[in-house]
Amino acid sequence: MLSFWDSASFFQMLLLLCNGALTTLQVFFLTLLFSLPLGLLITLGRMSPIILINAPIRFFILIMRGTPLILQLIFFYFAPSSMLPEGLKFNLPRFTAAIVAFSLNYAAYFAEIYRGGIESIPRGQYEAAAVLGFTRRQTFFRIILPQVIKRILPPISNEVITLVKDTALVQILGISELFRVARNEANRVFSTVPLFVAGFFYLIMNWVVTKVFEKAEKKLSYYR
Amino acid sequence: MPILEVKNLVKNFDGLEAVNDVSFTISQGEVLAVIGPSGSGKSTLLRCLTLLEKIDRGTVVFAGKTIIETTAKGQVRYAPEEELRKIRPRLGMVFQSFNLFPHFSVLRNITEAPVHVAGLTEEAAQAIAFELLAKIGLSDKAHAYPYQLSGGQSQRVAIARALAMKPDILFFDEPTSALDPELTGEVLKVIRTLAEEKMTMMVVTHEMGFAYEVADRVLFMDKGQIIEEGNPEQIFRQPTNERTKAFLKNFNYGSRF
Ligand SMILES: Nc1ncnc2c1ncn2[C@@H]1O[C@H](COP(=O)(O)OP(=O)(O)OP(=O)(O)O)[C@@H](O)[C@H]1O
Ligand SMILES: [Mg+2]
Repeated sequence: MLSFWDSASFFQMLLLLCNGALTTLQVFFLTLLFSLPLGLLITLGRMSPIILINAPIRFFILIMRGTPLILQLIFFYFAPSSMLPEGLKFNLPRFTAAIVAFSLNYAAYFAEIYRGGIESIPRGQYEAAAVLGFTRRQTFFRIILPQVIKRILPPISNEVITLVKDTALVQILGISELFRVARNEANRVFSTVPLFVAGFFYLIMNWVVTKVFEKAEKKLSYYR
Repeated sequence: MPILEVKNLVKNFDGLEAVNDVSFTISQGEVLAVIGPSGSGKSTLLRCLTLLEKIDRGTVVFAGKTIIETTAKGQVRYAPEEELRKIRPRLGMVFQSFNLFPHFSVLRNITEAPVHVAGLTEEAAQAIAFELLAKIGLSDKAHAYPYQLSGGQSQRVAIARALAMKPDILFFDEPTSALDPELTGEVLKVIRTLAEEKMTMMVVTHEMGFAYEVADRVLFMDKGQIIEEGNPEQIFRQPTNERTKAFLKNFNYGSRF
């Protein structure tokens, strides 16, 4: 117990945690990479006037937001190898399953944030663009979306901060991310210190996230 | 030859006839003022003509081309989308609430459509924009953002933005109604200048003095219909219709009358 505090083993623990943090960061960045654009697609489907498109999308959003993420992780890991009909069964690597579950889950949340942002843009913006002759696509990408991005930065930053902490859930699939590594260490050395060090790691990550969003908000503050 | 001919235009909003069988023409270079009580369908009429609303019946001929017609069976037919795409920028619109693009500078508000709709080069569009900014007296605001402008300045920029597309007709929906009284003058002055340059305009307004002075012709609308039509002299001094008389009684024209 006391030996834990000698600097060599403390350093070794840090190294282990850093390794776990690397996996955590992979989950974090891959999730953002897929869910941010996917959310936009989902929101466009959700806002489609065609019921055959918007109804399934609504259902998808309901499921993704209405059930525990930890359950979704388990589902995407086990379903391909157990729930598909014979012959179609396949094994999804645990890390891939985790990224799929996280990306879909976060895309559903981002989609609803995007929708809120898009619907908050006054009708007059669309009408001004229409009478000038902009196509619908031009109107969306040139006039609407830039304004939406400014408005949704605060709620998006909330989600991203939550994502940093949610990454700990992938340990349910046996992935050695930061928190699992810390817990193992804590059990091994019979001390809570590794857990608090892990907590400090999350805090640092979210401090960076906060700074990045502050910068982005500042960059878009040139107009109101 | 009229630049715009409207025949028997009807626009319903779930049962309510917002525009009910309206017919009129605008000639090249003419300034048409539209007056009438709230809810009489003035905005709806403009929105139908600028293709923001789909009409329920009628014919619209623009520059000799039928852009909307109604078949004998009552089916409304719009010109094909690729034609409408060319026509939209030729029908300019200035809104009561300006609707400037807040994320673009004044300059870019004016150049965005000429560049990305009309296909002008950035340089050509900017040359036009600076010319227009000089005309509306806002050359020094080229790089300002809409939130930094007063209402009067915003509306003048909105006019410049519409003019940059070189429209054949410019529609105004109560261009000064959202402005503080002391700011209406600067906007009306710009419209007056355009009238002198023979810009074809259709202006919905509650500024009766302005309509009297600038319009070539005045339409009085009530309950979705054109009740009376004539030159300002007739409409303001010798209205024949009782509803026109009653409506105009509510206005104080100031010393000009
Ligand atoms: N989008 C809409 N949906 C339903 N009804 C509408 C809509 N737009 C207008 N109306 C109705 O149509 C009628 C005409 O409205 P419109 O806005 O054209 O009047 P207006 O003459 O411009 O009035 P104002 O002077 O107050 O601007 C009104 O009864 C209005 O309530
Ligand atoms: Mg109106």
